[in-house]
Amino acid sequence: MHETSVAQRMVDTAIEVADQHGGGQVVGMRLLLGEMTCVEPETLSFAFGVVSRGTRVEKCQLEIVRVPTRLRCRTCGVERGGDLLEPCVCGMPGGEVLAGRELRLLTIDIDEEAALAAGKQP
Amino acid sequence: MSKEIEVARDVLQDNTQNAVANRQRFGREGVYVVNLMSGPGAGKTTLLERTAEALGKRVRMAVITGDIATTRDADRIGRHGVPALQINTGGACHIEAHQIARAADDLKSEKLDLLIIENVGNLVCPAEFDLGEHDKVMMLSCTEGHDKPGKYPLMFQESRALILNKMDLQPHTNFDVEAALADARAINPGIEVIKMSAWKGEGLQTWFDWLLARMAASKRG
Repeated sequence: MHETSVAQRMVDTAIEVADQHGGGQVVGMRLLLGEMTCVEPETLSFAFGVVSRGTRVEKCQLEIVRVPTRLRCRTCGVERGGDLLEPCVCGMPGGEVLAGRELRLLTIDIDEEAALAAGKQP
Repeated sequence: MSKEIEVARDVLQDNTQNAVANRQRFGREGVYVVNLMSGPGAGKTTLLERTAEALGKRVRMAVITGDIATTRDADRIGRHGVPALQINTGGACHIEAHQIARAADDLKSEKLDLLIIENVGNLVCPAEFDLGEHDKVMMLSCTEGHDKPGKYPLMFQESRALILNKMDLQPHTNFDVEAALADARAINPGIEVIKMSAWKGEGLQTWFDWLLARMAASKRG
């Protein structure tokens, strides 16, 4: 399952970024997840729980922000939501994908007090 | 108190960077790289056996084949006199770009004209992982059903060509060629279509010609 390799990268990135800011527990994370990606949010949340166990990310509240698909018609240029097979108002299906492929880590929250109290944890 | 830190980083950024490096490397080396994708059992390995037989003596080619386990595919292709390297993904459903870089080192890709990557049989995950290939090619077999392009659009959307395989079996199935192609073209209007039966040998010449033409085009830059 590629949700596991995605979750592993999220944990690694969170630890790396937290370390650049003095370390500490990562207690929150916001992820942009496009509806067109082949990443299933529930599976990702589950995988995230598994791979973060025993790390400084294990208490992290993961917030997944879904990004709806946005398409631009290749024939008439009109923008629309929905999926690729649902035709545009002009009758043409498909289109250029403007949004919906996101798999992007937006922010993390680190616990400053824990960071100060514990210093850099391994 | 917690502090919010902006990250603003694509989760698969490392894979994308590795893919960019692969693409530059393959461009420099003058090797044309194609990423062949399909669901399991569509006929990728059979097609690559036929391709190795037909082109192995004319062009310097090699195959990287990805599977969760076993070296069976590489063994099959290797019997036709073409270097074939197996990547075992150990449970992962796709190949990643850094694995291709390592395999290309082992295969001495700088001495090749053509490198074909046989991705893990899967209609979902390989679409998310750029490998640094020149072209993605999608294979769909008649026994899988004509609804697959509509149900798994991403991989069809990103492919330059669509191979419809097992056409010899089509009369025995309810596979509607026009419906499959209508969905594929709705998703990807420019997709080129090659109909074949890799096992029976029908339509193979079109595939060989397509590969050689794309190889020549990639060398022209």
